[in-house]
Amino acid sequence: MLEAMQVLAIIALAPLVHGAMKRLRARLQGRPGPSAVQPYRDLAKLWGKEAVLPEGASIVTTCSPGLSLGVALAFAAVLPFVRSGAASIVDVIALTFLLGLGRFALALAALDTRSAFAGMAASREMTFASLVEPALLIALLGGSALGHGPSVASLRMAPFGLAGALAFGAFFLVLLAETARVPIDNQETHYELTMVHEGLVLEYAGWQLAMLQWAAHIRQLSFLLLAALLLPGGFSPWMTIGWVAALAGAITLVETMFAKLRLFEVPQLLVTAFILAVTSIGLRLFGAPL
Amino acid sequence: MALRLVGVCATWFVASLCALSAIAAGTHYAPIDLATLAAPTPALQLTLGLSPLAAPFLMLLALLAVPVGAWSLRRGRPIDAALIAGFTLAMLLVLLARTVVAFFFAWEAMSLISALLIAAHHERRSVRRATFVYLAVTQTGAACVLVALALLAMWAGDASFTAIGRAAATLPPMLRDAVFALALLGFGSKAGLLPLHFWLPRAHPVAPAHASALLSGAMLKVALYGLLLVTLELAAPGPAVWGMVLIAIGTVSALGGVLYAVVDHDLKRLLAYSSVENVGIIVVGIGLALLARSLGNVELAALALTAALFHAINHGLFKGLLFLGADAVADSEGTTDLERLGGLWGHLVWTAPLFLVGCAAIAGLPPFNGFASEWMTFRSLVGALPGRGDAFVKLVLSASIAGLALTSGLAAACFVKVFGVAFLGRPRRSRSAPRRERFASSTPALGLLAALCTLFGIAPPLVVSPLDHVAVAAVGAAPTPLPSLPLLPGTLVALPLAGAMLAAALAARRGIRRVPTWTCGSPVTTSAQYTATAFSKPLRTIFAFALLPERQRVVEAGISPWFPLGIRYRTESRYLVDEAARRFAATMLRLTRRARALQSGSLRIYLAYAVAAVILVVVVAR
Repeated sequence: MLEAMQVLAIIALAPLVHGAMKRLRARLQGRPGPSAVQPYRDLAKLWGKEAVLPEGASIVTTCSPGLSLGVALAFAAVLPFVRSGAASIVDVIALTFLLGLGRFALALAALDTRSAFAGMAASREMTFASLVEPALLIALLGGSALGHGPSVASLRMAPFGLAGALAFGAFFLVLLAETARVPIDNQETHYELTMVHEGLVLEYAGWQLAMLQWAAHIRQLSFLLLAALLLPGGFSPWMTIGWVAALAGAITLVETMFAKLRLFEVPQLLVTAFILAVTSIGLRLFGAPL
Repeated sequence: MALRLVGVCATWFVASLCALSAIAAGTHYAPIDLATLAAPTPALQLTLGLSPLAAPFLMLLALLAVPVGAWSLRRGRPIDAALIAGFTLAMLLVLLARTVVAFFFAWEAMSLISALLIAAHHERRSVRRATFVYLAVTQTGAACVLVALALLAMWAGDASFTAIGRAAATLPPMLRDAVFALALLGFGSKAGLLPLHFWLPRAHPVAPAHASALLSGAMLKVALYGLLLVTLELAAPGPAVWGMVLIAIGTVSALGGVLYAVVDHDLKRLLAYSSVENVGIIVVGIGLALLARSLGNVELAALALTAALFHAINHGLFKGLLFLGADAVADSEGTTDLERLGGLWGHLVWTAPLFLVGCAAIAGLPPFNGFASEWMTFRSLVGALPGRGDAFVKLVLSASIAGLALTSGLAAACFVKVFGVAFLGRPRRSRSAPRRERFASSTPALGLLAALCTLFGIAPPLVVSPLDHVAVAAVGAAPTPLPSLPLLPGTLVALPLAGAMLAAALAARRGIRRVPTWTCGSPVTTSAQYTATAFSKPLRTIFAFALLPERQRVVEAGISPWFPLGIRYRTESRYLVDEAARRFAATMLRLTRRARALQSGSLRIYLAYAVAAVILVVVVAR
């Protein structure tokens, strides 16, 4: 029951977080920007519109927005903010594979549309994902209390320290990649050649696009919450809200201050994340006093 | 037709024998001998028996031989059906052998029959070459295996595995390590571990599909059984170093195999490389079991061994499915080159969805079996982190976790490429309307394998609890409760599945308008689709240090270089390991060519050699 409430809260608030980040970024760039509730209006508008797909696209393309949304919901359900069964069963390894399921479906759908842009996006998405995966897994392991097993719930028990800080640093870089943020990807671009995540869903429209966008919002908020868990006191309600707000602000700041990296410089960033994560796990294992 | 029917029936009969012996072997805690063929000397005795360690492999063989037999009802040469039966029988005998001589005879029979299968289309030069490479590797490996087993038998003074196992505790460390190194070389080359993997990508594309399915699905596992037999029974207990070596080699194999697979564009060769990857994952599990056992953590050893055995079974199932599916593709399209395949989903109506199950399973996606066993492997590696062991052990474990995570990411990319490029999109070659696939006797074979992949993913305890029994018996631990695997896939998959069904239902209710693909207004052409080579381009660039890609671009220009009439683009990877092997071979050839000067053919020179040799012997002996 509590799990369902957690999921509902995340579903309801995810578009707002996205809208607030968008507005903040516009303000930082000196534009008025859309209202923070604009994503709700967009979703409502898209939901009312008909879906349009390329001729001959298979059932894989039809189903994958729903699958992607389901993966996002499952992700939201396993976050250990309430005492839930799911969080103590699902560990960070299974979580990583779960995220892979959604990505697999979307990449297949992109290749199914026969569009060169979508194919390119699928190729880049899978390339980045394969590099993100080790960093994500090791960062989460570094952030969990290894003695309690790697379940998602154990992220609450790990003491923060130098190891925790490094794990968080690694996770922050992963977060930028997973939520398609600027040094790695650009959500706001209108130029197909530079799109990664947006290019993947280029051929979707109407209520299917609404599903995909909502899924992306939910994934983003879930990642922010997961990042908050890696910070000290991140699981008490007020601290969580504070950390999520701070992280959202930090991401927006990064997006304003930095330009998008060239495609083949992204691996270096992800390797940095990976090295931070490995250092963190090393400190955790050999009992750093800090 | 008669030969084919006899072959298929024989395969199924052997499969039922495998299943029976698997059940009988799995219920014991210690090996038992069944039948002994008397021989003039005790060293030559042929004994068959049941060992619990062989039970998972027997079960895999039974599960795989049934669909492969069904497959050969309609496809392949009739003689292949008979060879398949013989091949299955040989593998059964390897798994049942309980003396050195019996093991070696069965091993050689397995190697030779599989070579005959690989040589099915021996009229082609590439096939003869692949068979030759395979025979060279397999015979060198067999020699290593024979020496290793003979050393053990000499120490024990008896050639039966039971006696060798009893004498194993007193083995001197030097001999123990020598046996391990030889076994690793012999069984590792057969299993396709990285530096010795090169026969796999040559043999698999040319072998008939059902032979590939058995080679990759079962024979590589039989080689791993050999490795387990030596390390856990005949030369046990080993030092921690063995485990570390296996973890390192396994991780490198997994990474190397998947990197080769992700840039390859021949479907069957790609699947062969992916076998190297999966064998690597299994070997990591075996290595961890050995390491944990030598560090005294038997519960963890049992978990790691269970994970390895589970992945061995799972890999056999999904790789069998994929190889048989690849044959259906080759049958319908006449090629397995991904650059020329596309849009198969439209007309391979039976194969395509089943192939998708195989791709999802091999990419380790929930709720399929590949996920369950990869998850268990990761879980046991992570479980080893906080335990005993020095910094170096922890470092190797962390590197292995990271390597396997990268491997699973790359495997996902690889199979998105395979399925997206070959099955989805639009056909790449203009053909008059392709024929819709009909339901044939090969379809239930694929269906059975896909059903098993799904079943073992949704309900892992079906397999994991018997495997745990075996693993516990093998490492000598007390039975332990398994981690929360049973509930895991349900938790993870219910919501995504519900979402997919919701999307399909909504699409049916609200309808979807179909329009041409958006190509910025230019005409929609097939050649605008992303190709397999293009898909793997970023990975080829990022991992250029290991793949050593080479490319060739020829631009045919007419009046102006800016308006080319045609562009031909070729790219090929040389691969770091293969390049090193090639350099080594070239150096050796050059040295031997120099040495040819010694063999002048002149009698006087040879007499001089003989005199020199005699003088040398006299000087040394004095």
